[in-house]
Amino acid sequence: MSNLESIAHEIQQLALELGAEEVAVSVSQSVSTELTQREGILEKSQQSNSLGVGLELLVDERFSSHSASDVRLDSLRPFLTRAIEATRFLEPDPNRRLPELHEMGSADADLDANDVSWATYTPEARQDLLNQLEASSQAAANASTANVRSLTHHVWDAKVDSHICCSNGFSTGWSRTSFGMGGEITLVDTDGRLPEAYDYRSTRHLEDLPSVDLLAEELLSQGSNRLGSSGIPSAKMPVLLSNHIASKLIRTLINPMGGTAIYEKRSCLLDKVGSQIASSNLTIMDEPHIPRGLNSRPYDGDGFATRSRTIVQDGVLQGYLLGLYNARRLKTTPTTSSTSNIVIAPSTQSPQELIADLPQVIVIDGFLGGNANAITGDFSYGITGRYFERGELVQSVSEMNISGNIIELMMQFEAAGNDVWTYSSYRLPSLLFSGVQCSGT
Amino acid sequence: MSIPRPSGAPGAYFEGMGVTPELCRQIIQTALQHGGNDCDLYFQHSAGNSIQLTDGKVSQASSSLDLGMGVRVVQGDQVGYSYSEDLSPGALLNAARVASQIASNGQSMTVPLPKSHSVPNYYPVSQPWDAVTMQTRVNLLRKWEESAFAVDNRVRRVDVFLRDGASVVMIVRADGKMVEDWRPSTMGYMQVTVEENGKRESNAYNVAARAGLEYFDEDRQSRLVKEAVRRALFQLDAVSPPAGEYPVVLAAGPSAILLHEAIGHGLEADFNRKNISIFSDKMNQKIASEHVTIVDDGTLDNTRGAINVDDEANDSERTVLVENGVLRSYLHDSISAKHFGVASTGSGRRQSFRHTPLPRMRATIMENGPHTHDEIVSSVKKGIYCAAFSNGQVNIGGGDFAFYVKQGYLIEDGKLTQPIKDVNVIGNGPDSLTKMDMIGDDLVVDEGGWTCGKDGQGIPVSQGMPTVRVSSLTVGGLG
Repeated sequence: MSNLESIAHEIQQLALELGAEEVAVSVSQSVSTELTQREGILEKSQQSNSLGVGLELLVDERFSSHSASDVRLDSLRPFLTRAIEATRFLEPDPNRRLPELHEMGSADADLDANDVSWATYTPEARQDLLNQLEASSQAAANASTANVRSLTHHVWDAKVDSHICCSNGFSTGWSRTSFGMGGEITLVDTDGRLPEAYDYRSTRHLEDLPSVDLLAEELLSQGSNRLGSSGIPSAKMPVLLSNHIASKLIRTLINPMGGTAIYEKRSCLLDKVGSQIASSNLTIMDEPHIPRGLNSRPYDGDGFATRSRTIVQDGVLQGYLLGLYNARRLKTTPTTSSTSNIVIAPSTQSPQELIADLPQVIVIDGFLGGNANAITGDFSYGITGRYFERGELVQSVSEMNISGNIIELMMQFEAAGNDVWTYSSYRLPSLLFSGVQCSGT
Repeated sequence: MSIPRPSGAPGAYFEGMGVTPELCRQIIQTALQHGGNDCDLYFQHSAGNSIQLTDGKVSQASSSLDLGMGVRVVQGDQVGYSYSEDLSPGALLNAARVASQIASNGQSMTVPLPKSHSVPNYYPVSQPWDAVTMQTRVNLLRKWEESAFAVDNRVRRVDVFLRDGASVVMIVRADGKMVEDWRPSTMGYMQVTVEENGKRESNAYNVAARAGLEYFDEDRQSRLVKEAVRRALFQLDAVSPPAGEYPVVLAAGPSAILLHEAIGHGLEADFNRKNISIFSDKMNQKIASEHVTIVDDGTLDNTRGAINVDDEANDSERTVLVENGVLRSYLHDSISAKHFGVASTGSGRRQSFRHTPLPRMRATIMENGPHTHDEIVSSVKKGIYCAAFSNGQVNIGGGDFAFYVKQGYLIEDGKLTQPIKDVNVIGNGPDSLTKMDMIGDDLVVDEGGWTCGKDGQGIPVSQGMPTVRVSSLTVGGLG
């Protein structure tokens, strides 16, 4: 039995002993390092080792959930005693019962989530990577005509081990590593503004991080793209969402699929399963088993083995995100409570090719504030980006918003690029939409 | 469970867990073994509770318990940080060794035995949560739900939660200063879903403070319920406003999200120390109309942003940021204060012992100006009146900020007309400061439960302002 498994098991036994009738315990341990460097000086070095426990209890058919960072049984005993006592004041909710043991499981897929080289990643190697990244960024800044005010760089890594243990006998766990590097840049614009940009990359394996030269170049380019920005006149026009930020609008579509929103009838996608909610050339997959995928996982929040699902097929909604609890409340079968890796297949066209013939298009590379109303699907987001006419850059844009309805927007989906962004659980290419309301001057 | 206010002398709470003044001295000495100019220890014991009513049943509760210590070593602008969730001497000394590795100047410091300093009390509580029974909480939720259904027959769903929490923190510094603070908090939240002619809408209202059960007096309870229902019903008739640049009138109270985003963040001194804020070279310059005075105040009784002492053991205070239009101060933590050669403004705050302190806002307030609400509204021929908000964001260097308007009105010929909803509004910080040309005399400190995020750390804040006219902002509407 691993250390985490025995901790989880002991806590489960304690909760049962104190009067809980069903218990699900999840224990997670994270060991992480984070370094920040600016102007050749290591500005911050943080090392953390964190252990936490989450418990779901059923006491006389009454439900409560609890978390603690102190997993010693001596501390948990009074905490759980009070928690169980408090739970008895609630009303019963039999939908909270654990699933049957045979319904639970862990997918038999090689997620390749654990990089064994993490164990031998030395403080010197981290510092070396940070130094190289900073040197490359500085060299790129020196070679550029842009006036760079400030560069800050980061490297980080972590190993997370988790285990869940339920009173029905289910017990499983898994481990994953993550590595990251990135930076922030501030430039000086001709009018004194100090536009800024960032670029962060995260991977499961160290060897999958991009080269420091590539990251340095991208960071400088992201920053330079922000120079001389202003709003342009309000108009409806096509927009191309850059791959690394396209998740914002795909999330806006996926949020109303959540089981709670559906059960509470606070979703613009209510009664829309089987209906066209997007253009027929849009298919969205949930792929939990991508090797090294950032949100690949063997089991979901309910302890169900994960499986690949089509969320939207040719523009038609295939189902909701229903965990066990909401599925029971809706008297239907569960799918999964949350998405893993969201995938939209790439095309063969580059982002440049996608916009080459368009008389007007904003290539959006960042968002500023904004929000969406899940019940109506209306959204309004601030954007930054660049305005092109027939493939020619006209100007950088800022102080603008895009607004509309998420279903209408998805119906206006035109095409995907060939440039899938793999440094996120939203593995999306650039996405082109037509007729989007852009408001500016 | 709830953590009661410690009854012993400052320091006794954690000494009861084996953390003696002598052990603190040893931890600091260990942390400074390779040098460094400063070191602090941040001990924290927190507990929180939440109870929720949904589907007409109080059938869900949760609680949390957190304990640990963070140790920080500072050498110039450099910070080494580590924490431990285990308060045994071995684990604490080990965290100190990890944090010590940042330092290399070999300076030796004599570390005195910590001595406790008392702190003021800006969060008086008469009915602490540790004495409030589960039954009392259950009854409150039921009463709120029942009242909400009674307000209007278009109400279809009511979801309510009540939260409370408390932390005991103890900060020990290398100079021997030791403080202890007990920080209570509470929030009541109601979400209402309404339906009319087959159209559903939903909205929410919440109230939050550093307070006990006494916070929920009859007035507050009634306002929580009525405002939640009113906001949900408002959505039924509201439309998206037209897109483009318009004069904008900001309602007194929650509109201070504009202050927070457009000005507050840009005055946090870490950005200015790095020379990357758009306000970096503006000290003592006129940046706004003479009617604009903005303060950041950690001493307003029971507000969510109040702190008796900051997370570096510096005194909380009322800091004047902008005085009659002139920039007077940044918000400093000890690192930026040292960099600029000024005193800390008591603005060093952190989410928990797992995080390093940063200059942060507390309660950011614009003081009253000379104009009345009606004068301001009637001055606008065609514009937007913003009344309720959900979130905001800023780019520090460019100064561009955005805030999401959940509810407002069109202003036509000086009158509030069509209700509007769900629209993002964008401006530029320094630019919009100069465009604040009418300041009301009706300051309201908002009672909502705002949380400010920066560098991955969320902390409770408050904000307030009178009615203000901004001559032009970009409104992200339709058509």
